Amino acid sequence: MSGDGKKWVGKAVPRKEEERLLRGLGKFADDIKPGETLYLRFVRSPYAHAKIVSIDTSQAEVHPGIVCTLTGLEIAKQTQPFIEIAPDAGSKIRDFPMAVSKVRYQGEPVAAVVAVSPRVADDGAEVVQVEYEALDAVVDAEQALTNSSILHDEAGTNKVWSGVFEYGDVEKAFREAASVVEIDRLHFHRFSSTPLENNVVIGQWDPKDDGIYYWCNNSFPSFAIQFLAAHLGIHIDRIRVQTFDIGGSFGIKITSYPQMAVCALASKKAGGRPIKWVETRSEHMTSSAHGNERTFRDTRIALDGNGVITAITSRHIDDCGAYPRYEPLGCVIWSQVFPGVYRFKNARIEFSQAVTNKCPVGPNRGYSRMQHLWFLERVVDICAHELGIPADEMRLRNYIRPEEFPYTTPNGCIYDSGNYPKMLELGKKLIGWDSWKKKQGVARKEGRMMGIGIGTTLDSGTNNFGQSQIVNPGAPFSGNSQGANCKLDIYGEVVVAVGSCPQGQGHETTAAQVVADVLNISPDLITVRTGFDTERNVHTGFSGTYASQFAVSGLSAVHGAAQKLKTEMARLGAFVLESKPGEIEFGMGAQGPELRSKANGKSINYWGLANIVNVNSAVLPPDLYDVTLNCRYIWRAPFKVPDTKKKYGNLTMTYASQLHIAVVEIDAETFIPKILDYVAVDDCGTVINPGIVEGQVYGATAHGIGAALLENCVYDTVGNMLTSTFSDYIPITALNMPDVKYGHIETPSPHSYSGAKGMGEGGAAPIHTISAALQDALFEKGIFIEDSFNNPDSLFRALKGEIGRAIDLIKVERRA
Amino acid sequence: MAIKFAGSFEVRCSPEEVYDFLTDPNRFGPLLPDFRGLTVEDAQHFTVKVNVGISYIKGIADVKMQLSESTRPARAQYKGQGSVAGGNVSMVAGFNLAPLVDGTKVAWEGEAQVFGRLTSVAGGLLEPLGKKQVQKLIDGLQAALNRASGGAR
Repeated sequence: MSGDGKKWVGKAVPRKEEERLLRGLGKFADDIKPGETLYLRFVRSPYAHAKIVSIDTSQAEVHPGIVCTLTGLEIAKQTQPFIEIAPDAGSKIRDFPMAVSKVRYQGEPVAAVVAVSPRVADDGAEVVQVEYEALDAVVDAEQALTNSSILHDEAGTNKVWSGVFEYGDVEKAFREAASVVEIDRLHFHRFSSTPLENNVVIGQWDPKDDGIYYWCNNSFPSFAIQFLAAHLGIHIDRIRVQTFDIGGSFGIKITSYPQMAVCALASKKAGGRPIKWVETRSEHMTSSAHGNERTFRDTRIALDGNGVITAITSRHIDDCGAYPRYEPLGCVIWSQVFPGVYRFKNARIEFSQAVTNKCPVGPNRGYSRMQHLWFLERVVDICAHELGIPADEMRLRNYIRPEEFPYTTPNGCIYDSGNYPKMLELGKKLIGWDSWKKKQGVARKEGRMMGIGIGTTLDSGTNNFGQSQIVNPGAPFSGNSQGANCKLDIYGEVVVAVGSCPQGQGHETTAAQVVADVLNISPDLITVRTGFDTERNVHTGFSGTYASQFAVSGLSAVHGAAQKLKTEMARLGAFVLESKPGEIEFGMGAQGPELRSKANGKSINYWGLANIVNVNSAVLPPDLYDVTLNCRYIWRAPFKVPDTKKKYGNLTMTYASQLHIAVVEIDAETFIPKILDYVAVDDCGTVINPGIVEGQVYGATAHGIGAALLENCVYDTVGNMLTSTFSDYIPITALNMPDVKYGHIETPSPHSYSGAKGMGEGGAAPIHTISAALQDALFEKGIFIEDSFNNPDSLFRALKGEIGRAIDLIKVERRA
Repeated sequence: MAIKFAGSFEVRCSPEEVYDFLTDPNRFGPLLPDFRGLTVEDAQHFTVKVNVGISYIKGIADVKMQLSESTRPARAQYKGQGSVAGGNVSMVAGFNLAPLVDGTKVAWEGEAQVFGRLTSVAGGLLEPLGKKQVQKLIDGLQAALNRASGGAR
């Protein structure tokens, strides 16, 4: 019997998905073309903040080919506002999928037009007349908190949430500090993701069974259906969501449920015909979801005589755009990485979040943690420069040490494993640290602006949803879970279904590797169903793909289901082969995968085994009636509900880590920052598939470099988004991506069955790293990097003294 | 996006003649750049249709104008609001008239706020284009007034 003991987990198995995707045979939501489909186009607000005086759809309704129109008011009359996660006053916000009486961001839908073709829908949308009365727009979160212009009158305030996270003895640490550094303001900019495939929804509210059917690319369908069921007033089991191949999400497709609601309601109005909405790129840029923007005010850092940070205090103000939607979860999710990779125990962060007249935010890759990690990396670099400590040495003095793992953070999170000094050592070796330092010395003598920056960051994976109770003690979520099903089909095919919703992460491949190891067969013999389907019944309330969790939650569920199937197969095999279950071996025989008895050498292949249960059941003894060969398993994370008053508890299961180093030179004439060399070192514990992990690291690195240097959502003072096309918002491509040297270490996680940690978001390491390198290049000129976005224009302004003047924004108190 | 504009010119007409010209929709309206048509509602309100063409955004904008201040012969101010191709424009333009020995000094100032898709896709172009259009309006106004007075200063 072959296949014995061959382990597939850990091998660079080629992706099962590659064949169809590279040949153009992927099946995406827009490829779905149900009969009698109608097409929907939104009429969107040109204003960021305005009262809707009137909407006249009469010209559109008589336009040839237009089937119906829909307005926000019509929707409000037949639905409930979406659930708000926030407590008061945020909970009073009334969020409908289209504006009802007021628009709150440019691009907000105010009406929808349904037509027989997309082009006719475009024409219909053009003749919808909307009269507005402009209101003062608020585009800055700090200004929003003054309530000078209120977005949501029913809430009475622009503040969505606020709270204080305080741990240790902050005052004592400051009293005893050898030096105190103060930073007036730091700012993490607003950017988004630019997936190849925009949002797509096909929705049908079928009057024949009163069911709602979705074919779409939402990336967290189990979350979406919870919101949709309550909003539409329909039992959740009547909503079926199917996803297929998805051309990237990066988290921002989580919040497409408002458009899903509109498609269902439009279908209802159109007599139950399927309604397709395919988002344009400009719609995606202005109105889908952006990442959170965050401002860090009045930061104070206490350090001991060796440059070890002992305490931090700061005020953080988060901008969630016009509607909270997934927020205010971001107000606590950052605290999964409260101290970053550092050892300080004393801290007080006053956190608040405000609505502004900008596109609502969504959980963009690195969601909420990357803003905080960038802040911490800025703090470390600014302190290092001010105290004259080299950036690498500063980190070594402050890193959590390898022997301290599992490490409990001040707020009760348990970092499973890691070795940051080893990553730094590897990163320096890969980039040639000493050589670049020498080149930097020469460059500086020549007046060139060259900097070397380090970014150390975390990718926390598999959330404890109990953290939602820290922002709202009444929130009904805690823990985390994922489902999977593993079956031996009627002809002996092993078929796996998972509750995840992959968008390029290779779930089909890695799930097959896990099952292959359990059954001791090749991954090629395992079919993993593509996409997500509520009717596969393998989802839980947390199913989807987000927050770097599949390697832990998804594969644990798959592993559990495969183990259950194996146990059933062994029992059945023992009966057929007249042996004991412990005598049954799994592997490959002459006719394919089979079970063989070690006791008597008899064997049965998978087809024969499946045949007995499915179509030849009269031979089964009653004690095997419970064997179905169709095994569903729900994996549950071993979390507890956090202490909501102390804001204390374990919020995440695994902590992958990244250490990046960049060498950047700023051109003295054009101010273009050029990356001369780049290293990305990753530690995601036990690697399931090295090729997939490496690919994810490159993807996250590209995303982060784009965010640091190219991608910025710019609004003017009245709320116009000035970067709504790829002419102004420049996504990173292979053409402007530097060569990246990749390295990895493995510190297996004690918190997952396989030692793997969730990964893929990457902690936005390049943003921290490039900020650090630019600061290294400019600090001698009295400039510090105060913003996460730096392009030639901002560097020009910094060098002109308009922004980033250290003398104005940083104070250092050195005590005896 | 706010576009501010200001300037002055001199004409041979008296302040009363300038004022009467500025406050007559049938004479002032056609001076608006890329004018297509005019509907006068009353002495203070009129709507002009103008062509808009910036990049691939092309269309006809209906701009509702209101004579919001009128102090003969010293000052006239218009407020306007229009929409085209998913964008909206609101504007204020004021004219202060000061008598000269042989004519009038016309000092003008204004601000246009542009909202919507127009700004999103053509934001960088709007300010120079807007200023160019305003200059066209002023040049046209100056020429018309000089024609009315029989010659330029």
